[in-house]
Amino acid sequence: MDRRKALKFTGSMATAAVVGPSLLSLLQSCKNETRIDWTPQFLTLGEAAFVAKVADMILPRTETPGALDVKVDMFIDKVYANLYNEEGQNHVRNEIAKFNTDCQSDFGADFVKLSDADQVKALQKAEETSGQFGSGVWGTTVGNPEPVGFYRSFKSTVLWAYFSSEEIGENVLNYDPIPGGYNGCLSLDDVGNKWSL
Amino acid sequence: MPNYNIDADPKHTYDAIVIGSGISGGWAAKELCEKGLKTLVLERGPVVEHVVDYKTANLDPWDMELRGGLTPEEQQKHYKAIRSGFIGKDAEHFFANDEENPYTEVKPFLWIRGHQMGGRSLLWGKQTYRWSEMDFEANAKDGHGVDWPIRYKDLEPWYTYVEKFAGISGEALGLPQLPDSHFLPPMELNCVEKHVKARIEKDFPGRHMIIGRVAHLTEPLNGRGQCQYRNRCSRGCPYGAYFSSNAVTLPAANATGNLTFRPYSIVQSIMYDESSGKASGVRIIDAETNEDIEYKAKIIFCNASTLSTTQILLNSTSNRFPEGMGNDSGELGHNLMDHTYRVGAIGKVEGFDDKYYSGRRPNGIYIPRYWNIDENSKSDKFLRGFGFQGGGYRMGNSEAANRQEFGGDYKDSIMKPGPWEFFITGFAECLPYHENKVYLNKDVTDKWGQPTLSIDCEYKENELAQNKQIQEDAVEMLEKAGLKDVLGFDNEHEPGYGIHEMGTARMGRDPKTSVLNSTNQIHGVKNVFVTDGACMTSNSCVNPSLTYMALTARAANHAVEELKKMNI
Repeated sequence: MDRRKALKFTGSMATAAVVGPSLLSLLQSCKNETRIDWTPQFLTLGEAAFVAKVADMILPRTETPGALDVKVDMFIDKVYANLYNEEGQNHVRNEIAKFNTDCQSDFGADFVKLSDADQVKALQKAEETSGQFGSGVWGTTVGNPEPVGFYRSFKSTVLWAYFSSEEIGENVLNYDPIPGGYNGCLSLDDVGNKWSL
Repeated sequence: MPNYNIDADPKHTYDAIVIGSGISGGWAAKELCEKGLKTLVLERGPVVEHVVDYKTANLDPWDMELRGGLTPEEQQKHYKAIRSGFIGKDAEHFFANDEENPYTEVKPFLWIRGHQMGGRSLLWGKQTYRWSEMDFEANAKDGHGVDWPIRYKDLEPWYTYVEKFAGISGEALGLPQLPDSHFLPPMELNCVEKHVKARIEKDFPGRHMIIGRVAHLTEPLNGRGQCQYRNRCSRGCPYGAYFSSNAVTLPAANATGNLTFRPYSIVQSIMYDESSGKASGVRIIDAETNEDIEYKAKIIFCNASTLSTTQILLNSTSNRFPEGMGNDSGELGHNLMDHTYRVGAIGKVEGFDDKYYSGRRPNGIYIPRYWNIDENSKSDKFLRGFGFQGGGYRMGNSEAANRQEFGGDYKDSIMKPGPWEFFITGFAECLPYHENKVYLNKDVTDKWGQPTLSIDCEYKENELAQNKQIQEDAVEMLEKAGLKDVLGFDNEHEPGYGIHEMGTARMGRDPKTSVLNSTNQIHGVKNVFVTDGACMTSNSCVNPSLTYMALTARAANHAVEELKKMNI
């Protein structure tokens, strides 16, 4: 079998413990930073604002495009709508709600309504508490790593959505659909950014 | 390539019928057609014409609606095979539909199937190794299973014969436990692999690390192009650079004008003629129309894949063979084997952060067996042995996601490749146990109302002892090679994950204890040949496909000689 064809999006399917739902106020999307000028298939407007804000903070625009420039939020909505079963979809909903509940107790408001500084603190806390992916070999995880938390899984989905976009894949990373040969020892300086495929 | 003739004639008696068109079936078709036999190939799934039907071959992730992800419906369609971890949208259509083709796991067993022209030859890993003399002698020496009726010397010319046509790249080593093939130039190791190789070979005399020997062309051959290092093999290779039935053997068979290729033909059973003592043909169900049809032939080659071939034989009952065709010994369905899978070690390699590679090499490294090959390497813990596959590469998204960082500097840093990681994972030989078996299950039927298989198979003490040694050795080698954060692992995968299922209609010297003779003929039905993985008497620790090719070419040659002599 062609075991080397490991799936690049495996990490995005990781799941964590499910907690009880809580409701988001649609008012969240009124905040200036949010950018909901599209109609989600799965996410509520409030959830879409959350997805957009976190994705933008993980991968903001620098000299290269940011997550929102390549519509990472829209693609993640599409992923949740089309690649997740009902259980997975409920899990996402619950986890976004839980993230906001934590923000309320830590900082007094839902994530998108926090100050820039508190949003940074909230993500830093999530980075520290949401575990790590284990190593994988040919598409399956090896060893017995603890399941990652929602934030790590979400971040992985953001990276997948970003790096598998046409703009980043063809114009920012090194794009070479038909390498023609293999060179096993190049200077990284001669290549620059990583290969996109 | 001209289209295939798909009009099979039930009134005609073909010289030969070949059941299945995967790696061994493709070879049977080529050899029989080239020797002048009018040959009907029966394939359970659709035609997949080389290049034309490789619909996803050139798609980038962003060309696919969901960038390669499978919907819940698609995941359900492959609810068993998806356990393997490597099915995506790009090649999902080459994996069989598990819902339409159920099987029962008496004990956990992963059965990966490809129901189309070319079968799993479109999906295989292309690792290609000759078996050695010690593999063919193993059963006789330690008393497990029955003796192979052949030895290395019987197969050696046939290995050379199939290698010259298939195209195998690799490096010659001269090791008795891993005989060299007729090689095209080897693929290249990357700098980290070269580094680890040097350390292992220095620290562990007798152990070798080489680039994998693979059925990928590293230079053009017979009109096929060489590997372009895209690593999109499982979508079908438009260059014909890797060996598949679709790119190599079936076009050769078709070029003779002797081939009829009937798709959507589910072989239900082989018909036995009591008066002649031979098989007279096969019964099929048309997968699209559900029509029952019979086709006649002088000889029949069974190449449906290990377990499917045995399923057909078990379902081929007659007064003479009430327990399945050729089952005088009671061994039909028994002695199922696979290679253990996903036991090894992984770690990070420092000092090469300024090094990278270009090209996506569809290949890794190989460490040939080093236990139990001579007096000095004898283990007191287990019989037989194992080899390792593996490789080195720079890490991608999951490592980047693990970093406890976000923001602009983070984004800029992950535009560069991640740290180097290197792993090895072992494949251990499994002993043939009578109680590891498959049998017909009439309570669970497939989409066409046919009985299905129950699979009752497990690894036992000798395999588990090898897995323990694999992990110990892997960790020791990687730590001594200077890797960091070395993690030993054993995923305790059930049989089937190796996708090297073998046995269930074994060759042997004695009709009382085996199903097939030394030329792959059913002992009691000499015009039926089994040359896929079902025929295997033991299972070595190396990948089996090359041996299926060689056994098939050898058996086809014998079949034609016997036909000429009017012996069958």
